[in-house]
Amino acid sequence: MIAALWHNLDYAASVILFCIGLYAVITKENLIKKFMGLNIMETAVFAFIVAIGVVEGGEAPIMGAGVEPPFINPLPQALILTGIVVALSTTALALSLIIRIWKQCGTIEADELREVE
Amino acid sequence: MTPWPPLLALLIVVPLTGAVITPVVGRTRAVRSADWSLGVMLATSVIALVLVVQVARVGPFSYVVGGWVAPYGIELRFDEFGAVIAVICLLGTLAMVFSRRYAAQAMAEQRIPYYYALLLLNLTGMIGFAVTGDLFNLFVFMEILSLSGYALVAVSGEKIAEMAAFKYLVMGAISSLVILLAIGILYALTGSLNMADVTGRLAGAPAAPLAVAFGALTLGFMVKAAAFPLHIWLPDAHAIAPSPVSAILSGLVVKVGIIGMLRVYQIAYGSGAVDMRALNHVLMWLGALSIVMGAFFAVFQDDIKMMLAYSTISNIGYIIMGLGLASSYGMIGASVHVFNHAIIKATLFLGAGALIFQTGKRTLTDLAGVGHAMPWTVAAISVGAISIVGIPPTAGFVCKWYIALGAVQAGHPFFAFALVFGALFIFIYYIRMVNAFYFRQPRDPAILEVTEAPASMLVPVLILASLCLIMGVMGSLPLSFIEPAVQRLLLPLGGG
Repeated sequence: MIAALWHNLDYAASVILFCIGLYAVITKENLIKKFMGLNIMETAVFAFIVAIGVVEGGEAPIMGAGVEPPFINPLPQALILTGIVVALSTTALALSLIIRIWKQCGTIEADELREVE
Repeated sequence: MTPWPPLLALLIVVPLTGAVITPVVGRTRAVRSADWSLGVMLATSVIALVLVVQVARVGPFSYVVGGWVAPYGIELRFDEFGAVIAVICLLGTLAMVFSRRYAAQAMAEQRIPYYYALLLLNLTGMIGFAVTGDLFNLFVFMEILSLSGYALVAVSGEKIAEMAAFKYLVMGAISSLVILLAIGILYALTGSLNMADVTGRLAGAPAAPLAVAFGALTLGFMVKAAAFPLHIWLPDAHAIAPSPVSAILSGLVVKVGIIGMLRVYQIAYGSGAVDMRALNHVLMWLGALSIVMGAFFAVFQDDIKMMLAYSTISNIGYIIMGLGLASSYGMIGASVHVFNHAIIKATLFLGAGALIFQTGKRTLTDLAGVGHAMPWTVAAISVGAISIVGIPPTAGFVCKWYIALGAVQAGHPFFAFALVFGALFIFIYYIRMVNAFYFRQPRDPAILEVTEAPASMLVPVLILASLCLIMGVMGSLPLSFIEPAVQRLLLPLGGG
């Protein structure tokens, strides 16, 4: 069990990160902190997918003289590059929403906002 | 004769490019952006129509993007389930028409072009989601439509609009992440992202990660579809969004979860490596719960759009239950209800939007007696109400009948009972609504002075209401259209 966990340390780390993020999203009242929790979850998933592509002792798959396999799988990295762009846009949108909530209600604490509603 | 192959790519490229250019077109005069986006939507509709006719004649076909052959490149695949793009284009076009007067009143002029751009982006995302054959591409289109959806909820300018949008964003982003995680696991197991290729390679994959992947996919798509315990983001978001956006969100965007679920089924059943029975059982219960609880909450709503939002939850429940039954009748009924509910709910939301636009009031108490002042709009809403209850010969009847048959066919007559029980609840609150509009004494006599909605609002509502009736009378057409796809899907189960 421990050995299997140690062997898959990268996956275990992303699962733990994911749970930390989820915890923050659920328990934090401050909207910015809530959203930071979401960013942690995003990072966890991205790290997991990048870790899939890792090959032990692999090199970057750039062709040229003297470059030999094994190579790292570049596809997950390309995917996550797209994923990061998506996460960035989500963050931008969420922060601008938070700014407007602040302007309208004067607070960004979820419990106080519930009273305003 | 087969149409020009890149037509399938154009289906996405046309509205996507159109959306990006919209703010530029409307820079000097905002009204130009309305004309432009309507034009883009009409062009897309023509393409969609050609493709749907094509799929009805020859069955599924695909297009290889950039000449990179699948499974290496991105494949666009168009099958019978993808024909939902016809409804997407129809509702998109009508919402554009409806928005002309609405946007002019509801938002500052320099913001109008951005509103149309977001609307087009949202529709592009949905079209792409329906036709892609690649798992990661599916995620990207899902994010395009989700992000534009969050922003569209916030544009209405109501006091709690931003809060509703934020709640929607957090739930939506978590579900997207869960889906991305599942896609990552599937990639790790198979080394491929092409759905057909993944299906072929899944056999023999270890059971535990498969269970996590399919569980995560289902969870994510159920949040998107707003199944009962995961629905908390929906009522506020759908009730507060501008009415044309509500129609799109409620009619189409929640269906993304359902289309996603159909793709999951295609992979799971096609590969034969996943045992979906436990998951199907969960879906049946989720569906039954959504039907009853959605209808239950709707009964207590006074705000007309809030009531319609809860009604969406119970109707999504019908679809989820139909999927979970995994019998051919249930599946066919569920797939057709995706189309029909979109039309019915758009009728209701656009009709309600017209009422709110003309009277400035949004509760049933305040709107009492409005039927005498706006006869056409209220007549259309009544047709929508009758359809959604499922009284023959309207659009809602056929699918609910099929789902009930499916429940019996799958050996779960209890769920047919839940379905009828839910329909009774739905009947109660729609009767309440129609009763208020026609027979209750107006609270404020001024409501009788209100004039009928302008043509740009009335015409889309009337078109949709007549479609509710037409889809009911010609109910067998969509059924026979979707049947081959369902048969193909259920074939590995022994023909369902």
